Amino acid sequence: MLIKLAWKNIWRNKKRSIIIILAAFFGIWGGVLTNGIFVGMWETTIEAAISRELSHIQIHHVKFRDERLITQFISEINTIEKILQSNPYIQNYSVRSILEGIALSPSSVNGVKIFAIDPNKEKLITSIHQKVIEGVYFSNKGYEILIGQKLAQKLKLKLNSKVVLSFQGMDNNLISTAFRVIGIFKTESKIFDETNVFIKHNDLQSILGTNIPIHEIAIRVSSTDLIDTTTKILKSELNNLSVQSWKELAPELSLTSGFLYLELNIFMGIILFALLFGISNTMMMSVFERIREFGVLIAIGMKKIKLFLLIIIESLILLFSGGLTGTLSGFLTIELLSRKGIDLSIFEEGMAAYGMSAILYPTLPFNMYISLFIMMLVTSIIASISPAIKAIRLKPAEAIRTYL
Amino acid sequence: MPLIEIISLNKIYDKTKVPVHALKDINLTIEKGEFVAIVGPSGSGKTTLLNMIGGLDSPTNGKVLINGINISKIKSDELIDFRLKNIGFVFQSFNLIPVLTAKENVEFIMLLQGVTKSEREKRTIELLNAVGLGDKIDSRPYELSGGQQQRVAVARAIASHPSFVLADEPTANLDSTSAEGLLDIMKELNQKLGMTFIFATHDNKVIRRVRRVITLEDGKIKSDVFQN
Ligand SMILES: Nc1ncnc2c1ncn2[C@@H]1O[C@H](COP(=O)(O)OP(=O)(O)OP(=O)(O)O)[C@@H](O)[C@H]1O
Ligand SMILES: [Mg+2]
Repeated sequence: MLIKLAWKNIWRNKKRSIIIILAAFFGIWGGVLTNGIFVGMWETTIEAAISRELSHIQIHHVKFRDERLITQFISEINTIEKILQSNPYIQNYSVRSILEGIALSPSSVNGVKIFAIDPNKEKLITSIHQKVIEGVYFSNKGYEILIGQKLAQKLKLKLNSKVVLSFQGMDNNLISTAFRVIGIFKTESKIFDETNVFIKHNDLQSILGTNIPIHEIAIRVSSTDLIDTTTKILKSELNNLSVQSWKELAPELSLTSGFLYLELNIFMGIILFALLFGISNTMMMSVFERIREFGVLIAIGMKKIKLFLLIIIESLILLFSGGLTGTLSGFLTIELLSRKGIDLSIFEEGMAAYGMSAILYPTLPFNMYISLFIMMLVTSIIASISPAIKAIRLKPAEAIRTYL
Repeated sequence: MPLIEIISLNKIYDKTKVPVHALKDINLTIEKGEFVAIVGPSGSGKTTLLNMIGGLDSPTNGKVLINGINISKIKSDELIDFRLKNIGFVFQSFNLIPVLTAKENVEFIMLLQGVTKSEREKRTIELLNAVGLGDKIDSRPYELSGGQQQRVAVARAIASHPSFVLADEPTANLDSTSAEGLLDIMKELNQKLGMTFIFATHDNKVIRRVRRVITLEDGKIKSDVFQN
C-alpha cells in the first residue's frame, strides 16, 4: 500500500520528479560507463603484462630475483616438474633460462635479457608468438633469435640480420654467439620490446655444452581465481624456492588495482553526493507542500512510522527509478562495447609507453555494482531522513490549520 | 457510561506572544447516537473543542473521557491508533489524498486498520453507494465537486466503524444544494446506523438539522439546547 501510494505521489509533480530521475539516470549511466572503461583499461594492462611476461605464478632460485646470476638456477628440475604436473590447477608451465647480456650489431649495442625457451611450451604461457609483426616465431633451424621492434630500430636490425649476444657462462667466462633475426615482435610495452630477446633451449644447450640451467618456471593456472590458492600450495611444497604470484612479482600493478577500485567508488560517491542534494531538496519541497495532507493522515490514524516509511520509499523510488535504469544502461553499454572493444590505436603511441593495449575492453566487476547499489540505498535514505522527520513531527491540529 | 464526557476542560495556547485562553472550564456530556452541533462566532473555540475531543491536541487541564477512557493519558503513538479505531474525521476541505481515487481513499483507512480485502471492497462499495457516489468510485478528488469530495470524506470517516464522527465545518465550502445533500446523508447514517455526529459549524443549514445545539462564546458554553 505504501509503495503504491509513494509511487503515485512521485508523479504529483511530474516535471520536478522527471528532472531528478533523468539526473540520476544520466549520472549513474555515465558513472558506470566511465568506471567500466577505467577498469577495462586497467584489466587489459594487467592481462597484457601477464601474457607478455608475468604469467600467473613464477618459480625461481631464492636469490635469482635480486642477483640474476646464471649459476642461481633451479636444481632438481625433474622433481619439480613432476610436482607441477600433478597439480590439478596448473594448466601449463614453461621453463626458461634467463641470461643477462648485451646484444651487438654493427651499428650499436644494447643491454638485454635473454630468454632461452622451448618455443612450443612458451606459446602456452605467454603471447609473444602472437606479437610477431615481421618474420616468424622460430623455425627449426639453429641460432635463431626473436627481438623486439624497438631493439631492432635501435640496433638497426632487419629480418635475417646477424646479431651477437654476449653473456657470462657458468664458469664466469664471456660467451659471444651470433644469432639470426627470425622474427620481430611488438608488444604493448616499448621497454619490454627494447630489452628482451628470445632464443631456443637447444641453441643455449649447444653453446654451454651442458644441461641448460633453468632460472624461471612460468605457470598458468586454469582460472584466475585459482592463482592465490595454487601459489599457497606451491609455496609449501617448494619451500626452498621462491614462488610468487603475479601480484608479488609486480606489486605496483596489484597495489594500483586496490587504489583504482577505491577511486572509482569515490567517483560514484561524488555523483551520488550531487544527486543527494537534488533529491533531499525535492523531498523537502514535497513534504512542505503536503503539510496539511500529512496532518489529515495523522489525524485519521496513520502511524508515524508508516508516514516515515512513505517518505523514505518516495525518495528510494526517485533515485532508483533513474539509478537502476542508469545502471542497467551502463551495464549494457559496457557489454556492447566489450564485444568489439574500443579501438584506441590512434593514441597507441602514447599508450604503449604505459604498457597499455590498443584495444580496450570495458568491464566492471559485479561487486562494483553491489557497492553502487548500497551507495544508492544510503543516498536515498540520507536524502529523505530530514524531510521524513519533519513530516512525523507535525502536530495534526496545527498541520490541518495550514492551507497552501 | 456516556460516549463522551468532558470535565472542567481548559485550553490555553501559550506558544503565542499573548496566551489565548481558548476553552474555559468546559463540562459536557455527549451520548451515543447524538446528532449535535457546536456553534458560535469565529474564534469562540469550536475547532479547539473538537480537536480536544478528537485527541488531536491535548488539554491544558481537565479531562476528555471517551467510553470512560481519559484520552489525554494515552501516549502519542497509541493515541493515533485510538483515533484510527474510534474516531471518524471530516474536515472543512482537502480531506482526501489527491492521488487516490474515491474508492482508494475510502479503502485507505481500512488498510490502516488491517481490514481484509473482501471486507474492504464490500464496505467501500456500500458506503460510496450510500453517499450517492456509486458511479464515481474511480474518480480522483480533482474530478469531483466540492460536495462530492465531502461525501467521500464522510464515507471514509465511517468506513472505519468509529464510535463517532467529528466534522469541523463540513459544509463551509459547499453551495446550499450540496450542503443539504451532504446533511441528508449524515442524518440518514445517524438515524439508520445510530452513528454519532458532532459538528463544529456556523452554518444555519446544519444548525437547523441537528437535535442539539451547543453554543460557545469566548471559550465558554453559553447555551446547550435540544431541539426537535
Ligand atoms: N495553534 C494555536 N495557537 C494559538 N492560538 C490559537 C491556536 N489555535 C487557535 N487559537 C486561538 O484560539 C481561539 C479559538 O480558536 P478556534 O479555532 O478554536 O475558533 P473557532 O471557533 O473554530 O473559529 P472559526 O469559526 O474561525 O473556525 C482563537 O482566538 C484562535 O486565535
Ligand atoms: Mg474553526
